[in-house]
Order: sequence, then C-alpha cells, then structure tokens
Amino acid sequence: MFKKTHPLQSKSEIILRNIVVAAMVIFFSVFLIIPIGIAFAGSFHEWNPLSGTYNFLGLENYKDVFTSGLFGKSMLNTLIFSVVVIIFRVGLGLGIAYAIYSTLIKYKSFFRAVYYMPVVTPMVAVAFVWKFMYNPQIGTINQIFGLDVNWLMNPKTALIAVMLMTIWKDFGYAVVMYMAGLYSLPADALEAAKVDGANAWQTFRYITLPLLKPMTLFVVINSIIAYIQAYVQILIMTEGGPGTATYLASYIIYDEAFVKYNFGYASALSFVLFVITAVFSWLSFRVSGTEE
Amino acid sequence: MRRKISSIALNILLLMLGVITVYPFVWMLCSSFKKNSEIMALEQHLLPQEFILDNYVNMNAHFNFLRFFINSLVVTLVVTVLVVYTSTLCGFVLSKYKFKGRNLIFGFVLSTMMVPWCVTIIPKYSMIQSFGWMDSYKALIIPAMFSGFGIFMMKQHISSLPDEILEAARIDGANEFYIFQRIVFPMSKNGISSIAIFQFLWTWEDFLWPYLVINTQEKQLLAVGLKMFNGQYSTDYGALFAATAISIIPVLLIYLFFQKQFIAGIAASAVKG
Repeated sequence: MFKKTHPLQSKSEIILRNIVVAAMVIFFSVFLIIPIGIAFAGSFHEWNPLSGTYNFLGLENYKDVFTSGLFGKSMLNTLIFSVVVIIFRVGLGLGIAYAIYSTLIKYKSFFRAVYYMPVVTPMVAVAFVWKFMYNPQIGTINQIFGLDVNWLMNPKTALIAVMLMTIWKDFGYAVVMYMAGLYSLPADALEAAKVDGANAWQTFRYITLPLLKPMTLFVVINSIIAYIQAYVQILIMTEGGPGTATYLASYIIYDEAFVKYNFGYASALSFVLFVITAVFSWLSFRVSGTEE
Repeated sequence: MRRKISSIALNILLLMLGVITVYPFVWMLCSSFKKNSEIMALEQHLLPQEFILDNYVNMNAHFNFLRFFINSLVVTLVVTVLVVYTSTLCGFVLSKYKFKGRNLIFGFVLSTMMVPWCVTIIPKYSMIQSFGWMDSYKALIIPAMFSGFGIFMMKQHISSLPDEILEAARIDGANEFYIFQRIVFPMSKNGISSIAIFQFLWTWEDFLWPYLVINTQEKQLLAVGLKMFNGQYSTDYGALFAATAISIIPVLLIYLFFQKQFIAGIAASAVKG
C-alpha cells in the first residue's frame, strides 16, 4: 500500500517509522490517555488512597465543585489574577518590544536579554526571593518605599503581591515574543505607510498593531492557559492565605489531592479546569486558523 | 536634537526597568553574604557591611544541599538528553516520511500539550505506586521521555531541511538510521539547542512531581530541597538566601552563556507555530 505512492520507500524506512510511531503511541497512551481515563472515572467516586476508599458517588463530586464557595472564590481569584497579569504582560511586552525595536535604542539584544532573565529562573526559587522581599522584618520592598505593610499576610495586599511577582517573572516572555513579531513584519507595509506620509503614531496604530494581532492573541491565550494552571507561587508564598484571599484554581487541586488526599473530588475539579483549558486551546487554534 | 533627547530618555527608562528586573537577584545574592544580624537590622544596605561566607559553609553542614544539587543535575541531564533524542527522532519521522495516519498522529501529539498537569498527576501518581517505582529515579525519568512540545518543535524544524540531501544519501545506499544519526541530527542543531534549553529548565524547576514520588531525603531534588530547607530553618535567613542563590545562580549562568539560543528558540516556537 505504501510502496505504490512512494517508490523510494526502503525497508529501513518502514522499520524506523513503525518503531517510532509505536513508541509514541505506547508512551502517550500509558502516561496520558490512560491517566485521563482513570481521572475521569475517579471523578465519579469517593477516592482516598490513604483510607483505600473507592466508592461510586455519581455526580456528587461535580455537584460539590459547583456549590463550593472555595471553588467559586478561587475562580474569581484566578480571573482577577489572569486579567491583571495579562494586561501588564501584554502592555509591558508590547511597549518595551516596540521601544527596543525603534531606532532610538542601540543595545537591543542587551535589553532583551536582561528582561528575559526572570523567565528562565526556577519558579520555586524566585517565589522564595519575593517572599523574603515582602517580609516586613527583612524585606527590601517596605524598606525602599518606606512602607509598613505585611504584604503576604494582609488579605487586601496578598493577591496583589503575588500578581506583582508574576508580572515581574513573565513580562520578558512577551517582550521576546513581540520582538520576534516586529522583526517578521512585512517591510513593504511599513514602507508604504512611510511613502503615504503616515507619522510614527499612525504607523503604529494602523499598521503595526493590527499586524501584531495574531501575536497578541497567541500571548493572551497562552497566558490564560498558563495561569489556569499556576500554583507554585501560591504554594511557596501564601498557601492560599490569608483566609482564602489567594486561592487559585490549580492550587485547590494541589491542596485537595496532596494535602487532604481527596483524589475523587480533586479529579472532578481538574476535569472542570480541563474543559476550560480545552475551550481556550480550541479558541487559539480557531483564531490562528482564521488569521492566516 | 529632539531625536537625541528622546533616545536618551528612552534608554534611561529601559535601563530603569532593567534595574527593577535584576534587583531581586542582586538583593538575594548580596543578602546571602550578610550576617543574620545585618539582614534583620533596622537600617539596611544593599551591599554587605561585613562580607561573610558562613551562610554557604554552614548551610551544607545542616542540610546536604550539594547533594540535592547533584541529584537535580543528573536527573535533569538524563531527561534532557532523552527528550532531545526522542523529539528529533519523532520529528524526523513525522516531517519527512509520508504515511497514512501521519496527520492524525501529529494532531494527537499536539493535543497532548493542551492537557493541564492537574488532570493526569493523580492517576500517574497511583500508577507509579503500582509499578513499584516510588522513590526511584525511574519515576522521574520514564514518564518524561517523550515531550509533545519537543516533537512539535522538531517537526517544524526538520521539515525545513531540504529533501534533496536525504535523497542523495539514500541513492548512495545509506539506510534510514544512518541518515537520521549522521545527517538529520547534526543538521538540527538550532532546534535541538532550543529544546534542550527548555527541557533543562522545566525539569530543573519541576517541584510537584519529585515531591510526590521521591521520599528519601538523600535522593531529593533541589526545588523540593529548597522548600524543605525553608520549612526547617525558617528563621536562619542568611542560610535561606544562600540556598536560594545556589538554586538560581547556575541557571542564570547557563542563560547568560546561551542567551542567544534561548531567545531564538522561544521566538521560533511562536513565529512558526
């Protein structure tokens, strides 16, 4: 069957292809598809590995998810967190990338490399650095600004503090993305704007910005997917507290699954997040499809 | 003239943002050379007034931090090498071979990237327990051997290699294994270096998985070790700063050496994708 369409196909090609395809299928089945199945089944059970319980509950876990005040609160927190961080990430990313791209800046790769530094550093470690910076006793933030705020212990400031840290860690990614986008812009469009006598602002507003729209969507949707899954900064800096002020959606799953060992309930929670993530992923495919 | 002024102003603005970006690292590093009394002092200075190395020396006496560091390095290197190899191999097959179901498999690989960690981690944890892989590096290495992202990136990369080179080798009688090892692999250097860098970072900073599957303290990795250390010595700030510095500085050094490849890799993932 293959031979007909591809006369050059050799025996070694068929062997290699079969090995590779089989390996991929086996690997992703064992470590992805089967686990998804197990989690789906588990989400309909009372499942606790410590006591060894695995009893059918029907839709009880899902009912609990949607009536849980903590889940509602964490979704609200995740929404606030995502919207604020993404606005800063995109705003700073675009602004800084455009500034570096302009002819006014000489040491372009220097600035880009500096802003990208926090992106590559391990989250656990930088979350600790920021936890110390917010510490009212030893922290440098109160010291610099002459404030007396217990950032991570005050319900009014805790989420803001975690968002600030996340903006610091992530904006460099958007800078690099937008710079890549800017350098791949079609030169003729910018040339044409120049010929037509457009000023710098008009060129940016009516040529550059619309051409960067696919990149903006890429950054925004990827950020949403990432922040739905964010939990490490919460685990290190606040553990969801004070009270429930910094509970994020994925942190609850960590908490339910590996602190309280409610595997069934945690599985139901993770399926709800799975559906939300899938919708955004689907959107990102649709968007990038129609843009081209 | 006006141009010159706006250029200076913009440079100063970007420089200030740069200072804010690096400040936490500088502050952490400086604090790691201070005495606890100086860290807690009311009047603070960025640079240590009395420069000491005790934090680094004593830390390892309480807590085998160097051991965590070596564990992390070994596991991360093994996973990175494996992922680079499997990604390049799968990318080669998916981009240069035409066969029935190829797009289906590629679509499947793409969709693996969309699954949030939280969906599979509980069943994977139960599976590792039933396989008897708990507390062994098998649990860290085997479930990480293939990467959807890596395969995707390498497929994009290898499809831009000219077919003529492969055909020429085939006419000369080279088999496909030889072509992969001797032609495709060396010609994919850029793609490989970006995958290697990403995979290295992800494995290095992974917290939850090693925390769940490794129980023996001596086998633990750095990210988890750092959290344990913070739990046990929460008031020995000098040591905490030193421990954090050890977890961050090597990554920053690698980044500074390879920053061009880092940035080219991340940008390629968007522009091509």
